[in-house]
Amino acid sequence: MTRAVVAVVAALALVALTGWLFGHSPVDLLSILLGGSLDETILKAIPLLLTGLTIAIAFRAGVWNIGGEGQFIAGALAAFAAARFGLVAALIASVVAGAAWASIASLLRWWRNAPEVLTTILLNFIAINLLGWCVNGPLQEASARYPQTDAVSVALPQLGEVHAGVVLAVAAAIAMWWLLYHTSEGLRLRATGFNPSAAKFAGVHVEAQVFRAMAISGGCAGLAGGIELLGVTHRLFERFAAGYGYSGIAVALLAQLHPLGTVVSAFFFGALATGAGELQRSANISATVATLIQAVVIFTMILFGRRARA
Amino acid sequence: MLRLANISKSFGSTRAVDDVSLEMQPGEIVGLVGENGAGKTTLMRIVAGELQPDGGTIEAPAPIGFVHQHFVLVNAFTIAENLALVTPSGARGLGGWAARNGRLVAPPTRPGPSLTLGVTGGIELPDSSRLVADLSVGEKSKLELAKAISRKPSLLILDEPTSVLTPTEAAELFAVMRRLAASGAIVVFISHKIPEVLEIATRVVVMRGGRIVAEGGTAEELANAMVEIRGASSERRAAGGITAIVGVAGNGQAELAAKLRREATGIVAAIPEDRTRDGLIAEMTIAENLALRTKVPAEQLIAEYNIKASGPKQKAGSLSGGNQQKVLLARELSIEPNVIVASEPTRGLDAEATRFVHDRLRDAAARGAQVFLITSDLDEAFALGDAIQVIYRGRLSEKLTPEEAAAKAPQLMAGL
Repeated sequence: MTRAVVAVVAALALVALTGWLFGHSPVDLLSILLGGSLDETILKAIPLLLTGLTIAIAFRAGVWNIGGEGQFIAGALAAFAAARFGLVAALIASVVAGAAWASIASLLRWWRNAPEVLTTILLNFIAINLLGWCVNGPLQEASARYPQTDAVSVALPQLGEVHAGVVLAVAAAIAMWWLLYHTSEGLRLRATGFNPSAAKFAGVHVEAQVFRAMAISGGCAGLAGGIELLGVTHRLFERFAAGYGYSGIAVALLAQLHPLGTVVSAFFFGALATGAGELQRSANISATVATLIQAVVIFTMILFGRRARA
Repeated sequence: MLRLANISKSFGSTRAVDDVSLEMQPGEIVGLVGENGAGKTTLMRIVAGELQPDGGTIEAPAPIGFVHQHFVLVNAFTIAENLALVTPSGARGLGGWAARNGRLVAPPTRPGPSLTLGVTGGIELPDSSRLVADLSVGEKSKLELAKAISRKPSLLILDEPTSVLTPTEAAELFAVMRRLAASGAIVVFISHKIPEVLEIATRVVVMRGGRIVAEGGTAEELANAMVEIRGASSERRAAGGITAIVGVAGNGQAELAAKLRREATGIVAAIPEDRTRDGLIAEMTIAENLALRTKVPAEQLIAEYNIKASGPKQKAGSLSGGNQQKVLLARELSIEPNVIVASEPTRGLDAEATRFVHDRLRDAAARGAQVFLITSDLDEAFALGDAIQVIYRGRLSEKLTPEEAAAKAPQLMAGL
């Protein structure tokens, strides 16, 4: 907890200091950065929460799923394909596709002991290029003007200015918290992450835990992609994933891999992303400042984290 | 000469070396024998300055060469590079071959020179450009020896050097040892293999429980001095089914335990040998560790097993070793196992905790569980075993009664 606060303060202080060196008032800078609209913040926080959960559950089980980006795209593609069968079918398809995409990595790990850190990243590239091919080829809009699809026929219902995906995302966080801390399967999953060897001695089927964690993890990312399509963009295009899969790593690390902490942390990064856009418009400071803050947060969390077991 | 006076060293509550005084003269080859944990290695690490004694004085010659039981080699380097790392003159002692352009260079395409006498004291290491990773265990151990000898030591300590050598390699090693002693060095040879020690040593010292308990004697006398035999079966209760499997560590116990666990039928409880790796999950609480296998509430087990903790939510990693072992035992025994495979269940525990663990294992056997106790402590085997088997180089002896074992086990453990 202390560590998370330190990380956030350090990142914001660095931005304020840098801004000040370039002649911006630090107070104005931070108030713009953190004062973005609430609705937009929530909209940005929804995919971040789900990709944060993606990382949290995988890391808890000791599996390094860096493939949130690819699983996000797989989910969105599946949701697009299943949209004609209705909203629920599209959402389910996105979960299943994300889980399946992630499971390729766990299969390779089980079959040839391929490190999932590498395979999930490589699967990201495949998904990104698959999407690029789709929107330039078979799935391109009927008018064929831009590399994008037509709008999907179904959409998530709106709750005021925000779409209903927020309910699904928060429900997913609560469900994951319950799974990890209130069920015996969650206990086994965490045991696997801490010490697979000891877990095996205690009768845990370690391989099964890895498979399950990876599938749940990928399912969350897939759902994030589906929700983004059905609630925000309504179309697929080349840069659809926009780094949500990778940002999930920062979200989860700041939350110290706790599912409920992830809700708060996603909200914070959502606010940052919103504020960074505002900063670009009003102060002409590049919106990449949000990425910079993410990076500083990750660095701080890792540097001052408990040292890894020898 | 080497002179040790009243050396003591404790690790926590265990007295590893207990008031040892010893003198060695140049030219001697001293065999230091004893069971695992008798304090041989600890004593020699104190001599070499790797450990600080709690008390006592040391007069040791310099330099000291120490060949450890485990390899301390850089796998990604060649033989020549590994030697260059330790020779005082750097790479110069290697004829400049490995030190081209100020870097350690080993051309992989053509064979490097064979290093013999001079550099390595008569140990043949053909083609010094080979990577250590590609060497056999025997060659690696020769390289370790060469490293130690290249510094021209006045005292050379060899810790179980023959455990991985073939008979020919061992003979080669002995020749080197004799040559060194003849040139006026002291050679200390740590081993638990009595025949070898008798063959090479000019003097044999036996350690047990951190003390020197005997000097010299026949093979049988030495074997008996290594292990203390207390009134064989007096403590035993009439209970069914504790088989004690006793042996010096590293004779295939881990493989045996895995096999026993795999082949057992019914509910199997396991007390693992490597506790940090396979025991409790340090990051999780006592309650969570227990809940991984048992449904019995943590509070109840903490009380029943007299575990000293602030409560079920204390992290397992913050418990003392003895209490961690109790938590593990509580978990594994509360599932009412049919078979228990316990590896070194009391290693590192104090007397009280040891008695507690022994009582629990006896209770489990009395309830009808089949207990396999794998231990390197012969006392423990006698205290608990209804039948005793000796494991040596992966092979089990026939089942012995405690009476038979009292007569034969020490020799079987030493491979006699």
